[in-house]
Amino acid sequence: MKNNLYTITKKDLFDLFGRLAGANRVVVPYIKGEKLSFDDFDPKKEDVIELGGVRQSQPVKSFINPVREKITGSAPRGKPLVLAGVKACDLSSLFVQDSVFLGGDIEDPFYAENRKNTTIIASDCTYAKETCFCVAMEGAPYPSRYFDLSISAIDNYFLVEVGSEKGQKLIDGYKTFFKSPSVHAEDLRRAARERVTGQVRDFIAGRGTPDTARIKGMVRKNYDLTDFWKEMASTCVECGACNLACPTCHCFLLFDEKDQAGAKRFRVWDACLYSTFAKVAGNHNPRKHLYERLRNRFDKKFDFFPETLGCFACTGCGRCIEACPGSIDIREVLKGLVSGKWKTPPHE
Amino acid sequence: MSDCKKNPYAFIEAEVIKVTDETSNIKTLTLKPRGDIAFRAGQFMEVTLPGIGEAPFTPSSNHNSKETLDFTIMSAGRVTKLIHQAKAGDVVGLRGPYGTRYPLEQFKGREVFIVGGGVGLAPLRALLYALFNDIGDYKKIILRYGARSPGDIVYKSEIDSWRRKAGNVDVGITCDVGDPSWSGHVGLVTTILSNDGLDIGNAVAIVCGPPIMMKFATFKLLDLGFKDSQIHLSMEKNMSCGIGKCGHCRIGPYYACKDGPVFTYDKIKSLPNIWD
Repeated sequence: MKNNLYTITKKDLFDLFGRLAGANRVVVPYIKGEKLSFDDFDPKKEDVIELGGVRQSQPVKSFINPVREKITGSAPRGKPLVLAGVKACDLSSLFVQDSVFLGGDIEDPFYAENRKNTTIIASDCTYAKETCFCVAMEGAPYPSRYFDLSISAIDNYFLVEVGSEKGQKLIDGYKTFFKSPSVHAEDLRRAARERVTGQVRDFIAGRGTPDTARIKGMVRKNYDLTDFWKEMASTCVECGACNLACPTCHCFLLFDEKDQAGAKRFRVWDACLYSTFAKVAGNHNPRKHLYERLRNRFDKKFDFFPETLGCFACTGCGRCIEACPGSIDIREVLKGLVSGKWKTPPHE
Repeated sequence: MSDCKKNPYAFIEAEVIKVTDETSNIKTLTLKPRGDIAFRAGQFMEVTLPGIGEAPFTPSSNHNSKETLDFTIMSAGRVTKLIHQAKAGDVVGLRGPYGTRYPLEQFKGREVFIVGGGVGLAPLRALLYALFNDIGDYKKIILRYGARSPGDIVYKSEIDSWRRKAGNVDVGITCDVGDPSWSGHVGLVTTILSNDGLDIGNAVAIVCGPPIMMKFATFKLLDLGFKDSQIHLSMEKNMSCGIGKCGHCRIGPYYACKDGPVFTYDKIKSLPNIWD
């Protein structure tokens, strides 16, 4: 069944954000230098809000699985969150995050509460960055799933697509803001989407970034190419920035502390590049070498998740490429993996 | 305590009833949980020092004892060092149980060959007591245990009672290095593994110990004629959340906390670096 479509002007959309703010926390993307960054909606800064653009600096997990969350007692019900301008690469990451925290035998009640409490207004990318490779990862630079509403900039208005009951309710509650789309609106959206998709394709082709079909099974196949992994890790400084910037990375540690009020437990993002990540008692470490930890990151994304969840845990957002101080480029690692240039040394 | 049902990261309180010194760096804590926290041998729990941290341990007591649980813990890191300071009357936290158990129903009518190393005898003690509950159901119960030195042998006061438990129980102990007090066998645990008098076709093996010992004990068992699927391994990793979410204990496509810690060798043998 086709999703319902509406239109809304930019002015009305910002008015809507203003109405929603108060009872909700409304977060939108702002232009910050050359980047886009999420922050609380401020009507005084409307001129630097960019709802189109490209993916923001923060991965969307920051809002649903925050970097440090208190997990003592029962899950608190905070102000509902309306998150606007979420890009498709981040929407794809929600499939991984949801599967981890809501799936399995036991649900994480804190994540579940945050997720339930969040309304996602996704939006099309209106341009691509050189680091974008979503199309190689079975994605696209426009929303197709995991949104409540999706907005696409068309001329001087947005075409609004409803993706969930929650999204429809939002529209029904503010009917006067929304109009019926013209017969051409969808064609215009399609043309804009094709243009940005083409940009991403050009970036992928320009660099020769392999797609999922070529990557499938390659980490396991090349697991023992120690020289390759060592070379890839040669400039890694173990900062964990790739893990923290990644929208699908979900690993966390449980951190306990106490004050006068008593003992508290927090769920804090962890990074598999850190040397302590897999360490066990008695100083024993299954991944004591840095190259093993870098390899683990690829093993998890391109082998574990395809095997256990049926999808790659990379959305092609390119954040890790920008975040890495050692200039390790995930696309170059993937290219190396499929290149066939690296051979197992004869002594192994 | 209903909190524990809703919040998988919450612990229930447990009072320290007794602390037993096993060796210079291993103690057994007997805990009385303030709430229901039943387990089956092989499963593990997180022992919490509220506000400080927690670490995973497999209870070492009989899973039929409802009142108290034993945890045999080596002082090996930040949390365990502090756990060693616990005294009777102190309160700690417990979360769990998590993971897979030893499939006792598959052991019935068979010869159960148990191989332990160091403090790895802890989960195996829970297994032994579980087997002793229905001792007549098993053809033989053979324990082969290796400690670094005579001073490192755990459960010294109990081992003799295991030997005398019944005619079908056979206990063998070795030390990597002997001392003047030791008249027993000297050598790694693999040197006392033999298939003499063993009906391998009708046997199962269970291994728990440090990674290097698990590796060579498994290879030795294979040499003796055990099949991959007959070898049950306790693959302890950095299990933290216990519910397959935090990512620390991954082994290939599995998480040790929920798919293990007890795995048969056939399930994991093709995965890379399992012994690291």
